[in-house]
Amino acid sequence: MISSATPDVFTRAAPSPFHFNSSSHLLRIERERADSLGELLDALRSCPDESIFQHTFQTLQEHHYIREGFSNDFAHWAYTECNEAGLAERLAAIDVRTFTSLASLREQIIRIVEDYLKWNPLSRDRAALEPFYFCASESVVIPTPFKAQNLREFIEALKRVSIHSIHHHFIEARLRLKLASNDFSAWLEKELGLRQAAASLNRIDIYTLTLEDVRNQLIRMLSSARA
Amino acid sequence: MSETQNSGNISSVAETASPSAEHNGVGGSSTVSVGPEPATAVPKRERRKQPRISDTPPMAPPPPRLDDYEPIIGKPELDELRFLATVLKGKSVKMVNSTAVGGGVAEMLNRLVPLMAELDVTTHWDVITGGNDFFEITKAFHNALHGGSYELSRQAQEAFLATNEQNRQRMAFEEDVIVIHDPQPAALVSSKKDHPGKWVWRCHIDLSNPNPGVWGFLRPMIDQYDAAIFSSPKFARQLAIPQYLFYPCIDPLSEKNKELDESYIQKVCDDFGVDRSRPIVTQISRFDRLKDPVGVVQAYKMARNYVDCQLVLAGGGASDDPEGAVVLKEVQEAAGDDPDIILLELPPWSALEINALQRASTLIVQKSLKEGFGLTVTEALWKSKPTIAGAVGGIPTQVIHKLTGVLVHSVEGCAYQIRYLLTHPEFAKQLGKNGHEHVKENLLMTTNVRRWVLLFRILLGLA
Repeated sequence: MISSATPDVFTRAAPSPFHFNSSSHLLRIERERADSLGELLDALRSCPDESIFQHTFQTLQEHHYIREGFSNDFAHWAYTECNEAGLAERLAAIDVRTFTSLASLREQIIRIVEDYLKWNPLSRDRAALEPFYFCASESVVIPTPFKAQNLREFIEALKRVSIHSIHHHFIEARLRLKLASNDFSAWLEKELGLRQAAASLNRIDIYTLTLEDVRNQLIRMLSSARA
Repeated sequence: MSETQNSGNISSVAETASPSAEHNGVGGSSTVSVGPEPATAVPKRERRKQPRISDTPPMAPPPPRLDDYEPIIGKPELDELRFLATVLKGKSVKMVNSTAVGGGVAEMLNRLVPLMAELDVTTHWDVITGGNDFFEITKAFHNALHGGSYELSRQAQEAFLATNEQNRQRMAFEEDVIVIHDPQPAALVSSKKDHPGKWVWRCHIDLSNPNPGVWGFLRPMIDQYDAAIFSSPKFARQLAIPQYLFYPCIDPLSEKNKELDESYIQKVCDDFGVDRSRPIVTQISRFDRLKDPVGVVQAYKMARNYVDCQLVLAGGGASDDPEGAVVLKEVQEAAGDDPDIILLELPPWSALEINALQRASTLIVQKSLKEGFGLTVTEALWKSKPTIAGAVGGIPTQVIHKLTGVLVHSVEGCAYQIRYLLTHPEFAKQLGKNGHEHVKENLLMTTNVRRWVLLFRILLGLA
């Protein structure tokens, strides 16, 4: 329910509307595969950026309904196929939202695996139960009919767009913006001057919520926004 | 449609059973007893009736339209799909496979082609023809590509190529994209040089360990395509052309997966003698050793020392396959005289009955020892059923251990998970819920339509 105490916040027109887009992804099977952590490390250095995107950002969307226990494909494989809980914990702790480029995300994953293997050298060549198959994501951006000229329309559109649209603007966006932010926060701050609301959206924990939960939290937070 | 009283072959191991008044409800909310003694000390009553299954296949219902999927996937998803396809308006596609009826590929194309037409992507579907000798050779190829031993003769190569050539001359390839399904029509690609369209090879089989002779024969043909599609990264080969991943999918509106009236589910259970007041553990599979039905009976018996439940093993393959009949006999022997083990040999057109059995079940088991993708698992997950499955083939793609189901590697592990899930209904319910969402996001027909549209856009430079 939108607060009636500050109606101007909800109806004030933004100079530029927010156009909701979405994205669709096709999975390409890559040449790289890893049968051990040592091979994973090698492949992490040579795989395309789209593979890093697929196994971190995109897998989060594919598993958007899970609240706990799933972070990225590398962590999941280290845990289930290599039985390396310590490495899995460290990889799972990576928050994709702290990265504004795939290059820096790749470096961080490599650093974690390298560091782990330095202290656990016997793990380097131990065969995994199942190989890790590198895939890559080919993305197509899709416009949607939803646009918002003010906060009220923005909240209404948030209720109606697909989960993929939420992922596109709220999670993937930082790779486009090259900022530790998201399309929603950027628009709310720039076009409506809602700096506090914009900042608070960035604190939503995408790793302990489903994307549907994220949608609901976005709506809840913005419905109680103050100028 | 004629119906008989006993065309489905029910093979119950006893004519009476022992439902316990202590056990109520199904679907994760059961109150189950935990302890070493199965509940048996209650009055016996007549349970097994003869099932009523038609002895001929029912008329196929008309294929669904795109709008029919809106209540399932939501309007925004459907709108996105329609938008994705707008740039393909006026483009055309040809699908070629080797059979118009029967088998998963024909079933999928029967649904895909009208949906693509609704998206204004003209989609033609051609089926190659050939004599018995050709199809015997391609069946041998199929088994060899799955790793079986096979001596590829020059005669077989020539017969394969000759039939492909006859079909090539009969067919026109004027479409923008030509999709060839599986190895049988693979050599049609020799028409590529005469037509500007993009050629895609859709491989539905597991090529992880192919017979080198057969693969060596097919490989030069596959290299001529513009792209290949596999059902799992582990089924793919190293190829010079781009390879894409299309998971197999289920149609949520098919007879096997659509929502059913509660009264129908009850009727099927009544017909088959399944007691819905007690927990039901079900495996739907052919009577095939690779599905380990004997292992499922053993796991059930171990679990029954702690929890009350019935076991339903339903599937076909025993009446038309000599090995299936042997396996069914083994299962009957393993079941012994347990009145709570219900063995059902069903004809191939029992989709609605299977759907009802799955929906009535408390847990679904798919304890395969070897598996392709395992669409029975997809079906179980779609019905929000807590699922226990062997960690083989494509199953781990669907069952993420302790998140969308549980994976097992042994009879003992399976027995433990039956006990655990029956006594932890909240956890089981959450697994079922996650499993449903996993299928909705990744393994539905509509997701695959989106994949096809994306692929066509990419291949035609319209991405």
